[in-house]
Amino acid sequence: MKPLRYGTIGYLFVLPAALYMVLLVGYPIVSNFVLSFQDVTTTTLSAAAKPFVGLLNYRNLLADGVLRTSVGNTFVFTLGCLVLQFGIGFALALLFDRDVFLTKTVRGILMIPWMIPMTVTALMFKFMFSSNVGIVNQALQAIGLIQKPIEWLLEPRSAMLSLIIANTWIGIPFNMILLSTGLTTIPREVLEAAAIDGARPPQTFFRITVPMLKPVIESVLILGFIYTFKVFDLVFVMTNGGPVNSTHLLSTYSYKLSFSLFKYSQGAAVANILFVILFIVSLLYLAFVYRDREGAA
Amino acid sequence: MNPSSSRRLSSVMIAIGMLLVFVAMMFPLYWMVVTSLKKEIEIFKVPPTLFPQVLNTDSYSAQIQHGDFNMFRSFRNSFLISLGAMLISLTLAIPASYGVGRFAFKGKRLFILSFLVTQMLPVSVILTPMFITFRDLHVLNTLLSAILADATIGIPFSVLILMSYFASIPHELTDASRIDGCNQFRAFRSVFLPIASPGVVVCLVFSFLYGWGDLAFGMTFILDQTLRPITAGIFNFLGQYGTKWSYLTAFAVVTTIPVVLVFVFMQKYIISGLTAGAVKG
Repeated sequence: MKPLRYGTIGYLFVLPAALYMVLLVGYPIVSNFVLSFQDVTTTTLSAAAKPFVGLLNYRNLLADGVLRTSVGNTFVFTLGCLVLQFGIGFALALLFDRDVFLTKTVRGILMIPWMIPMTVTALMFKFMFSSNVGIVNQALQAIGLIQKPIEWLLEPRSAMLSLIIANTWIGIPFNMILLSTGLTTIPREVLEAAAIDGARPPQTFFRITVPMLKPVIESVLILGFIYTFKVFDLVFVMTNGGPVNSTHLLSTYSYKLSFSLFKYSQGAAVANILFVILFIVSLLYLAFVYRDREGAA
Repeated sequence: MNPSSSRRLSSVMIAIGMLLVFVAMMFPLYWMVVTSLKKEIEIFKVPPTLFPQVLNTDSYSAQIQHGDFNMFRSFRNSFLISLGAMLISLTLAIPASYGVGRFAFKGKRLFILSFLVTQMLPVSVILTPMFITFRDLHVLNTLLSAILADATIGIPFSVLILMSYFASIPHELTDASRIDGCNQFRAFRSVFLPIASPGVVVCLVFSFLYGWGDLAFGMTFILDQTLRPITAGIFNFLGQYGTKWSYLTAFAVVTTIPVVLVFVFMQKYIISGLTAGAVKG
């Protein structure tokens, strides 16, 4: 392939988009950092000179139990979802790997949960988990697993479990489709040769399928981590951090501080903690991508 | 058992497995639709009815007639917001991805890298500063505020998708178009754009859906009930009529319909968009 042409004309094409992103994303990121070192509340929002308080917001947050709970919750939520959605998604990808009647169509329709607005998903699951009319309690009672209805969204542990289940429902199609695509890249001959050599299905799976899918598995897991770690809508609508702040994630806690309590600076500080963790994971992801690309080239 | 009959048996088992998965995964959606068509009393019935005994469409029609929460008005708002965000995204992303895909320039790698990172950015980080800026610029409480914010998700997605389309077009085509007397901009318009059109469709679909699904921006920047998007409408409604499940699910169904329509007509593009390494905001 010929080398690309150099020249200022490339800039001309890129400039408008770059400018837009610098103004509407770059500037806010910087401004969010500045904000977290100030003390901005409703009264100082319009003031020209905003009081600088150094690390005070961060220090206050560290002493604050809700922040610790939120950090813990964010990890529990993310890891719980990752394990479930990856496990189930992988199983489904294998199930749908054969070209049986309608496989492609069914696999396609299963994408819908991933596409619908999270607000809708949250509402649906809030309804299904509600203690008096929810189908979950009714079904569990009907088969005799529980005697009394469970207050799913009103107890911290079960509320977190409900959130994980709802988000897993969204994540399964994402994992399934990426792993399915990965599976199609494994040559049939390799699997057939293994079968002829007497390999049993579990052996084939762990010795051939998994190693050959390694790059796909890595990116599915890391991307899954990133997208789950910053989930906001689902939790905001389903529990809004309740009961009593026990299911806040960093994203919803930051929102509460900024837009319910109007402690903009503290909200910004929490958002920065979320940002820094995600930024590190994102760089990790990019390192993986570039390593794989160079390995392939 | 001979191999062919065992294969047929396993095909049957896979088909059954598929059916079970399908029913389990689709059940929440089914339940939402069914509930929206039940009368409020029937929703509370134990054991629950799997299909409405009396078909009730009041939850939909009541919304049209009166409403501090008119779902069709918020539907319109969402539509305008998504459309606006989509237009901005594509207008900026098409030239940008062409520039990145076809030209070499200093800082290109950094440009691509920063777009990749932007895609992974939590909304929370830009929400508060954006709120303050929009407040100072007096764009709060306008559809524009949500449009401007939603486009920040569509742009990087679209650039990254289209970039590889443009890069994959052979250079012979550029040379040929130059010999035919095209300048850069004409070559872009009449040679490259048509070739990249499947990618453009992917970007149209996704940048629209990002806007459609957004809750955080719409609800934070727009406080005026008459201008709020439908997702924020659902959230309001949930707060005010927390247990009116027939109304709530009707609201949710109306929000879902455009997504399902997009899916029906654009399925091919959606799957290619997702597997191209790009993903939901």
